[in-house]
Amino acid sequence: MNELIQQTFTWQNGLIFLGWGIVFLFIVLGFVTYAIYFERKVIGWMQYRHGPTRLGPFGMFQTIADIFKLLIKEDTIPKKADRALFILAPVIAYVPAFAVLATIPYTSTLGFADLNVGLLYYAALSSISTIGIVLAGWASNNKYSLLGGMRSAAQMISYEIPLVLSVVGIIMMNGSLSLRTIVEGQGSNFWEWNLFPQIVGFMVFVIAAVSELNRTPFDLPEAESELVAGYHVEYSGFRFAFFMLAEYVYVFAISALTTVLFLGGWHPPLAALDVIPGLLWFVLKFSFCVFFLFWLRATLPRIRVDQLMSLGWKVLLPIALANIFVTAVCLEIFSK
Amino acid sequence: MPDLDLDLILNGQTIAYFMLAICAIVGAILMISFTKVVHMVVSLALVFLSLAGIYLLLEAEFVAFVQVLVYAGAISILMIFGIMMTRHDRQEEHMVKRARSFAALIGCGALFAVLFLAIRGTAFIDPEAQPLAENNTLRIGELLFTEHVIPFELLSVLLTVAFIGAIVLAKSDHEEGSSSLPKEETPVAKSAPLVPDRKGEEEFQ
Repeated sequence: MNELIQQTFTWQNGLIFLGWGIVFLFIVLGFVTYAIYFERKVIGWMQYRHGPTRLGPFGMFQTIADIFKLLIKEDTIPKKADRALFILAPVIAYVPAFAVLATIPYTSTLGFADLNVGLLYYAALSSISTIGIVLAGWASNNKYSLLGGMRSAAQMISYEIPLVLSVVGIIMMNGSLSLRTIVEGQGSNFWEWNLFPQIVGFMVFVIAAVSELNRTPFDLPEAESELVAGYHVEYSGFRFAFFMLAEYVYVFAISALTTVLFLGGWHPPLAALDVIPGLLWFVLKFSFCVFFLFWLRATLPRIRVDQLMSLGWKVLLPIALANIFVTAVCLEIFSK
Repeated sequence: MPDLDLDLILNGQTIAYFMLAICAIVGAILMISFTKVVHMVVSLALVFLSLAGIYLLLEAEFVAFVQVLVYAGAISILMIFGIMMTRHDRQEEHMVKRARSFAALIGCGALFAVLFLAIRGTAFIDPEAQPLAENNTLRIGELLFTEHVIPFELLSVLLTVAFIGAIVLAKSDHEEGSSSLPKEETPVAKSAPLVPDRKGEEEFQ
């Protein structure tokens, strides 16, 4: 795939890129469909329920039916809503979610763009989605959705800072922002992954990432019990589906990013297991990250707004800064 | 005035440049002409994103994504302030004085002349001489910590001073018993009841 990308850009190549983009879009849609299915199944099992069982073997077609239902639903726009922004908001939320996937390397050969500022690209684009969410909250002209949008903005802006700072240690160890170089810098044994030298950064990253995803225990922007559904109360049909899609594509993105940054990407956990192809290792680690998110959702209660803010600013931010400082000192001592 | 040599080569880059430039200009004009703060902020976002695109065309990837990272967050905050400090349903009437708009025209003309002459007069380094796209983060870092280290340190002092100032201001409010929270805690909830409409008025003028 690398040779393809490095060719000069012609109409023919442009169409090939577009084709690959569409293929990838369908892979992501397939992931989202079955991620929702597994989320319901896993949470069901954890709560001594069955989860979806009716449609298809083990209820496997349930999500497809749900999506179909969303697509044929009547598309409602509230009369007092700001029509243009109401329509624009799901687009602004979704486009960056899909665009961030472009820079993630899946194996040593499979991947789309190898940007030399890959990590920064991810952080920058994912912050655009916040604008979409605030806009959705405001344009709906509904108290609950406005509250949800405001909470979401406060949360995503506060947690973006520890999220970016927590990976600075890795950037310093690798001397590059390119995700491919970061994976190549890790070895084929699990103790050579960034996970262990950067364990503090990893913990800050995981907490901040869950919060960026607006998932339990940080799901205040869409807390059903207090805000009805948060910023997307007034949305229905395929616009609502777009917000859900954006959310699950971010689950995909953050799990892939965790795998790439901390869990060694396509490297096997032991050098002896090198015969198994890299893509499989990537998928395994990636699936574990996704499962971890579902597990958290079934386990933890929601935290309060004031706890959320003080955790972000008073705990995670100082820890992330201290991690950068300690990493710099260690690099200075040991690499000389 | 230096002579104009506008020999345009029509390739993908030029087309992309003009599209981005048009987006930026349209965004800026809409920003001025909209009456609702949230609409203004969205058009401002369009301007910033188009500028980031132009940086990308110039192979300054690091600057482009830092631009997006910083301004996307800033826009969300601005939007929140816009929502909190202006009335949702009130349509603002524009009171444009003729004298003021004439003064603004002269000011804009002068600014444009200064910028245009300065840009035309600058001898830029030949972009062909060094590949910019490769490792431009590394190059910026090297320049920042070798040649430009003193302005960099001065800036960090300035930012620290501003930061401490913000904390002191927020603290003194807190001790007087007002309801506003310290600055770091909630960027959303702070000082909403203290300055009800001032920011909105500034934006509408």
